Amino acid sequence: MADRHNVETLVVLQPIEVDTGSPDRKGMLVIANGLLVAVLVRLDAPEHETPGHWFLEATFGRFQGLRAPPFPTLETATQWLRRQLRP
Amino acid sequence: MHHTLSQKLEGYEALTDEDRLALDGLVPRVRQVGPRVDLIREGEAPENVHLVLDGFACRYKVLPDGQRQIMAYLIPGDFCDLNVFILDQMDHNIGTISQCQVVDIPRRSIDEITARYPNITRAFWWCALVDEAVLREWLVNIGGRPPSQRIAHIICELLMRLEAVGQVTGNSFAFPFTQTDLADSMGLSSVHVNRTLRELKAHGLISLKQRVLTIHDADRLKAYCGFTPNYLHLRNSRWGGRRAVPWVHSAQRG
Repeated sequence: MADRHNVETLVVLQPIEVDTGSPDRKGMLVIANGLLVAVLVRLDAPEHETPGHWFLEATFGRFQGLRAPPFPTLETATQWLRRQLRP
Repeated sequence: MHHTLSQKLEGYEALTDEDRLALDGLVPRVRQVGPRVDLIREGEAPENVHLVLDGFACRYKVLPDGQRQIMAYLIPGDFCDLNVFILDQMDHNIGTISQCQVVDIPRRSIDEITARYPNITRAFWWCALVDEAVLREWLVNIGGRPPSQRIAHIICELLMRLEAVGQVTGNSFAFPFTQTDLADSMGLSSVHVNRTLRELKAHGLISLKQRVLTIHDADRLKAYCGFTPNYLHLRNSRWGGRRAVPWVHSAQRG
């Protein structure tokens, strides 16, 4: 079991443009061990409560329905996602 | 201000001067409650019926992970459950959104007034029926409409309900709800609420300035979200009568 905890899930971010019907277009596909698990979108519209943060726009699989406040950076977003992926 | 209650009830039932006088007797002590204050919490034993005379409140529950779900908005003239004192304990919370004027009506007063004034009793039944109808519409809203229409629909509903109690000037009304309030009411994220409000503004349907919402084209906003006001059963609103007619006619034809 100790070994399993030491194996970090490989999380890869891949840029993607997303049509959100708003100025928020810059996105990242979040791929964990080769599978798409989430899409992050940067909040660029100035009216947002936290402009510039990364919003968990869409979720799949075990992330389905998960909510999180927007993340200040991509690093904090991936850290959080990695934590959720731990067995 | 007590007039708000009579005005709301007269949307459902014709009241006599005696009825109105009896209703004034229900609200002897009005208290001011600040914004974001709980009037009663889940688990507490309800002893009085709360009546909102001014301001906005809501019913809500909090899930174990902290997520809040708002199930109803209470506006001036709304009771926070007319027969709530029958319950041993509250199964949800009621809290203010803006600063409110609230009346605590003892159970005995409700019993007395309903025993003596049949018009008022019927109007109270109407209130309970319409509260349920609004809840059903919210279920339809959350389960069946896309996010942008959900927000448009709740705006149309607020316009109708607030107008029935004289809280609309032109097509503008107080809108103290934050994006988080709307998100927690409509099963959305604040980000989606933000984008939707932006879209509605960009289409020239609404504007929102200093917590006052203005609807620029009510007919277009209603068409946008397929709003049918029949569930509000209002007969004294600008649109209530006009809207009810085609609906009744089509039902009769069918």
